[in-house]
Amino acid sequence: MQKRQVNLLILVILILIVGQTVSAQEFPAPIGYVNDFAQVLDQRSRAQIQVVAEQLKEEQGIELAVVTLQSTAPYDPTEYRTLLFEAWGIGGPEDSGLLILLSLDEGAIEVETGYGLEAILPDGKVGAYLDIAVEEYFVNRQFGPGLSYLAQAFKAELAGEEFAKAEKQSDESLGDWFISFGIFILIVILLRRARFYPPGGGMGGGSGRRGRTVIVPTVRVPRSRGGFGGGSRGGGFGGFGGGRSGGGGASRRF
Amino acid sequence: MKKSTVVLIVIALIVVLLARGAVSQYNSLVALETNVESRWAQVENQMQRRADLIPNLVATVKGYAEHEEQIFTDIADARARLLGARSPEEQIAANNSLDMALGRLLAISENYPQLKADASFNRLMDELAGTENRIAVERMRYNEAVEVWNRTIRQFPTVILASVLGKQSMAFFAASEAAQQVPQVQF
Repeated sequence: MQKRQVNLLILVILILIVGQTVSAQEFPAPIGYVNDFAQVLDQRSRAQIQVVAEQLKEEQGIELAVVTLQSTAPYDPTEYRTLLFEAWGIGGPEDSGLLILLSLDEGAIEVETGYGLEAILPDGKVGAYLDIAVEEYFVNRQFGPGLSYLAQAFKAELAGEEFAKAEKQSDESLGDWFISFGIFILIVILLRRARFYPPGGGMGGGSGRRGRTVIVPTVRVPRSRGGFGGGSRGGGFGGFGGGRSGGGGASRRF
Repeated sequence: MKKSTVVLIVIALIVVLLARGAVSQYNSLVALETNVESRWAQVENQMQRRADLIPNLVATVKGYAEHEEQIFTDIADARARLLGARSPEEQIAANNSLDMALGRLLAISENYPQLKADASFNRLMDELAGTENRIAVERMRYNEAVEVWNRTIRQFPTVILASVLGKQSMAFFAASEAAQQVPQVQF
């Protein structure tokens, strides 16, 4: 009886924690600066973009995310880029983020500039580079070289600009606080539960299993917020710095 | 301890808890209302930004398409009304008529190939499209803030405090139907 109640409590806490992130879950989690979900990038272009992104981040505090997708359905590509930017939080504390999104089914190339970059990279300038990229690369389906061209062009345009780096963690939002609190409670409950069971009876034993299969995914949950976090997932990409945008940028269809 | 002291302590605790609850509710109401207001300010910013772009755009188009007087007048009127609007309702209405006038301007620009090849026209078009996207984004965020506000002041127990303070639900920013359609181009 008591065990059921504890399980129920865990479930409630899980729902509380997960509930908040479920809406963001429809977007894939970032795997790095280059997110080639549609698998259209050649090795060379991917490496070039990676280098550009790392330099921008280290030298200027600017975060560049390059994403390729098969489709942005059910969203319109322009809508999608703003929502993805928001979900990932690209950019440092001064909203110095830049998102380049390529969507194959819609034939769309979309660029979203963070609030901090709007003045340096006005929409008209972004559009002019997109025209070149579409004409020289994308119409010929040279997606890798086209994206690499854009990354380098924007880097040249942003040369000399410096932004605060996304190191400080002081402005934790209420949501993050809630998640840490939920995890804390969970740990307390788990520790308390552990005392009730004889050592060794947990892992393999049939009785412990139900509880544990529920628990395992919680460890990953906070990662989907794309915040700071450690580096435990896939080779240590710590997520973006929480930058914001407001729909600035430009787009082209090809 | 006497029974009466225990009762007193319990009552005092309840009062303290209630007061704390009321204070935190009041604070969250203030925060939500401020949020709606600042979201609206962002919408206004972006509408202003678009209004600022229009004189340049009209000047560029005029250089190639001077005969389209009617459209230029309509745009100038709509822009003046937007800049003169005071209440959010007026602003939304003026913004929607500006949407329509601009849609027609973009449609006629298709008839002037030289205009379409003009670099500064293309740049302005990107700025305009970017600004319209910004308005759409800020409008969405404003509507989200309004939704939270309207829901909160109707929910128990906040509804009590909200009605005592005379807080009312706020209006959504609905896009005009003309703005949601892509202008049709006739050949």
